[in-house]
Amino acid sequence: MIIDKETCIGCQLCQPYCPMGCISYRESEEKCAIDLDECVECGICQRPKVCPTGALQQQELDEMRNLRRTFSNPLVPHKTTSVPGRGTEEMKTNDVTGRFKRGHAGVAVELGRPGTGTRFCDVEKVAMAVAPIGVVFEPQNPVTALMVDTATGKMQDGIRDEKVLSAIVEFDVVIEKLEAALTAIKNVAPQLDTVFSLDLASRMSADNTVPTADIARKVGFVPSYNGKTNVGLGRPLAKGV
Amino acid sequence: MTHSLHRHGTLDNLQEDYVVFAIAAQTVNAKGKAPVFGEFYKIVNKYSPVLSGDMKTGNSLAVGLEAIAAGHQDNSIVHAVYTDKNVVAQVLNELREADLGLSIVVSGLLDHVDTCCNKAGIQRHTIEHSLGIHGNTKRLPKDQVLEISTMCGHGMVAFNLINHMADEIKAGRKTPGQAADELAAQCHCGIVNPVRAAALLKLMAQ
Repeated sequence: MIIDKETCIGCQLCQPYCPMGCISYRESEEKCAIDLDECVECGICQRPKVCPTGALQQQELDEMRNLRRTFSNPLVPHKTTSVPGRGTEEMKTNDVTGRFKRGHAGVAVELGRPGTGTRFCDVEKVAMAVAPIGVVFEPQNPVTALMVDTATGKMQDGIRDEKVLSAIVEFDVVIEKLEAALTAIKNVAPQLDTVFSLDLASRMSADNTVPTADIARKVGFVPSYNGKTNVGLGRPLAKGV
Repeated sequence: MTHSLHRHGTLDNLQEDYVVFAIAAQTVNAKGKAPVFGEFYKIVNKYSPVLSGDMKTGNSLAVGLEAIAAGHQDNSIVHAVYTDKNVVAQVLNELREADLGLSIVVSGLLDHVDTCCNKAGIQRHTIEHSLGIHGNTKRLPKDQVLEISTMCGHGMVAFNLINHMADEIKAGRKTPGQAADELAAQCHCGIVNPVRAAALLKLMAQ
């Protein structure tokens, strides 16, 4: 996104809408401007139509700016998933897809969330920390599509400095390796410039208990009292999960 | 996409915050589901959600109920937000009876949702826990801002906008309800709870 200097009147109404805080007011010019290194092309500043002169304008995006946009604007479905937003259907359709089976756990590390954004160098640090455990990166996740080697978690050259609103490292792991995977995430956390929100998905046991929560506690993570529940009304039900 | 998972809050204020939504699996049962999302939307609206929306169209504050009802697609994700767990139980019961075949997910206090499922005669299938926010947490704002911001998992409600709305209330230019509606309208999916947001903004403005 750019601000057209000819039409901007410097009213600053757009400033609070930017989730990255990258719209600044330049007193010398009495105009607002966007720091393009920090802008993630989410389009959120333009949506509420607060600019009285239409000075917020979507410029033509090259490949890297488009990469930012697809990870930042939730209205743009990813080619790899058909799902709008940044991730996958993960546990939301598990009753139908059987993505997470008993004996397995789904883990998602959403870097940049909440509200801080992330660069792909941080995404790579997390991916490379968990890859040696033997996790299976979710093939439908757009972050996985940017890896040059899913055995190591290494990302494509040329994208590490690109900033996006958030990006999700998502993987399936057998329960026996969950503790190691969560420990790797805990150990890499202090090396990051950004924050991440951490998810743990699991198929309910037959006795209506959750088999993974105690493993998370053992590593030092505290499962929140709120979360998401797939209530199992999807049809056809996945078999063998 | 974990858009409704990490709702930051206290045990107290999360008791009035539940999201019920429907989604189809793109590789299994999505084809032809657009009208089924319409049936889902009719059911959830019977129980007066405080906000609703379809990822493909927008939320009820921004585009209105009719536009949402007319815009369902096979890859829609349709949401409704409630403040009362007893209402959630009733919604789940009607959804079970309707047997739409869509995957139904409820975000909220896990124990309460389990109770809702029991009341509706439903056995939970899969659970997703939030294990919290980690990394460089020095970059995070104060809790009340986080509690509002995390209601939109796509990050469309900026920290700065929340602080700005609290200032507007403090200055007497907006009521907490008006400010909360403006914030909720930002969330395209329609999963911000404007009732909870108004209460939090009121506290921030004091």
